[in-house]
Amino acid sequence: MHAIYGWVTGPLTWIAFLLFFGGLLYRLVQLLILVRRKEPFIFSYMSLKYSLRSILHWILPFGTVNWRLHPVMTIVTFAFHICLLVAPVFLMAHAILFEEAWGFGWPSLPDVAADWMTLIVIAGAVFFLVRRIVRPEVRFVTSTSDYVLLAVVAAPFVTGFIAYHQLFAYRWMLVAHIVSGQVMLVAIPFTRLVHMLFAPLTRAYTGSEFGGVRHAVDW
Amino acid sequence: MKRFVTVLLAVAVGWLWATAPLAQEDMETVPNDAFTSPQRPPAVFVHDAHNEAAGIDECNRCHHVYREGQLVPDESSEDYRCSDCHAETAADDGMPALMGAFHGNCKQCHLELENGPVMCGECHQRP
Ligand code: HEC
Ligand code: HEC
Ligand code: HEC
Ligand code: HEC
Repeated sequence: MHAIYGWVTGPLTWIAFLLFFGGLLYRLVQLLILVRRKEPFIFSYMSLKYSLRSILHWILPFGTVNWRLHPVMTIVTFAFHICLLVAPVFLMAHAILFEEAWGFGWPSLPDVAADWMTLIVIAGAVFFLVRRIVRPEVRFVTSTSDYVLLAVVAAPFVTGFIAYHQLFAYRWMLVAHIVSGQVMLVAIPFTRLVHMLFAPLTRAYTGSEFGGVRHAVDW
Repeated sequence: MKRFVTVLLAVAVGWLWATAPLAQEDMETVPNDAFTSPQRPPAVFVHDAHNEAAGIDECNRCHHVYREGQLVPDESSEDYRCSDCHAETAADDGMPALMGAFHGNCKQCHLELENGPVMCGECHQRP
């Protein structure tokens, strides 16, 4: 177990983070090159003011017409994404391990709070799954990869929850948790999970075009 | 009257038992009472059995004494709690804070020897 633990928390963690950050950088550069080649005039009307204005509206729950039209979906989407980001970054165990490795850490959430946020992420994933299955208009545009991606995102939270509560097979569950987290990190730049990076960029672009060119709002 | 004496005796015995210092040979977990609001179950640590199994002869491998920043080789501090010297929150004098002192002592040795628990829940076992 020492060898496996050392391997997943050592080299595998390095590989996962290098691919995660390297991959995001690669996707960003790739995007900029594409824009420069295909539509270089976009750069002429990109505006910080209109970009931030659009992003601000879209990251506020019910800040846009679209959010207001679908209240249930809006609440679940916001709760899911906030917990998805906050729980792992501010998890005490993650901060402790980071501090042991690098000599500095950061403030973290009480375990009880992180536990509830984990349940919210899992509940959100179940909601998205059921929605894909029962709503015909969603099922129509769903492919296998959607289910796989949902599983990739949910897995670290499910295994983390089971490991934290030591429900069964603690050691293997912790290893599964670490590996599934690494799989998710690596999947982000190279799958549609890249919307983590692209969503704000898309808003910035759309917001600038609507604000500076069409003199309209995009929310 | 007889009943009153029995109750009194029971209370006295209970009081003695509860306040008697827990000897290290009875220790099964590292007490976490020095933490304001502990987040995890106390770490499993059967003091004497552990040290025998791990082959640690020197008490001051853990109960250490420092003087002017230097580890004193042949003195030990088992009359003190770790928390008597290690504060719960880190000060900037280079002293590890209490949790860091425990993890640095326990987990670090297990990692170096590749023997003994290193995962959170192997030490902080839920009942
Ligand atoms: C692997 C580390 C380790 C070694 C080696 C070790 N101890 Fe301890 N001991 C501890 C810890 C941890 C505690 C709990 C300290 C605390 O609560 O602050 C403790 C507590 C004690 C206590 C206090 C018991 C109590 O309940 O307050 C005594 C006495 C003690 N040890 C004696 C010894 C003696 C004697 C030796 C050597 C034969 C020894 N220890 C070796 C880790 C160790
Ligand atoms: C009498 C005071 C005192 C007691 C009691 C004490 N420590 Fe320390 N400890 C120190 C000092 C002083 C240092 C810092 C040395 C330095 O400046 O690097 C230190 C450093 C450490 C370190 C980091 C250096 C190393 O030795 O690895 C660890 C880990 C540690 N203590 C764990 C413990 C544990 C666990 C206990 C209880 C079993 C304990 N200490 C009890 C005074 C104490
Ligand atoms: C000097 C090295 C060393 C230090 C310090 C140390 N350990 Fe260990 N520990 C070992 C070794 C070696 C083993 C494996 C013993 C065996 O082979 O059974 C072990 C085993 C264990 C085990 C599993 C076996 C058992 O006794 O239940 C636990 C739990 C444990 N250690 C907890 C602790 C805690 C808690 C501390 C700090 C208070 C600590 N250890 C400090 C070396 C160390
Ligand atoms: C080798 C055993 C060991 C391992 C592994 C270990 N701890 Fe601890 N930890 C201790 C000991 C001993 C203490 C002192 C108090 C106690 O018994 O809980 C402690 C204290 C703590 C505390 C402060 C007291 C509390 O309950 O709030 C936290 C938090 C903590 N550990 C979290 C973790 C996390 C998270 C991990 C995994 C990343 C971890 N520990 C791994 C032995 C261990």
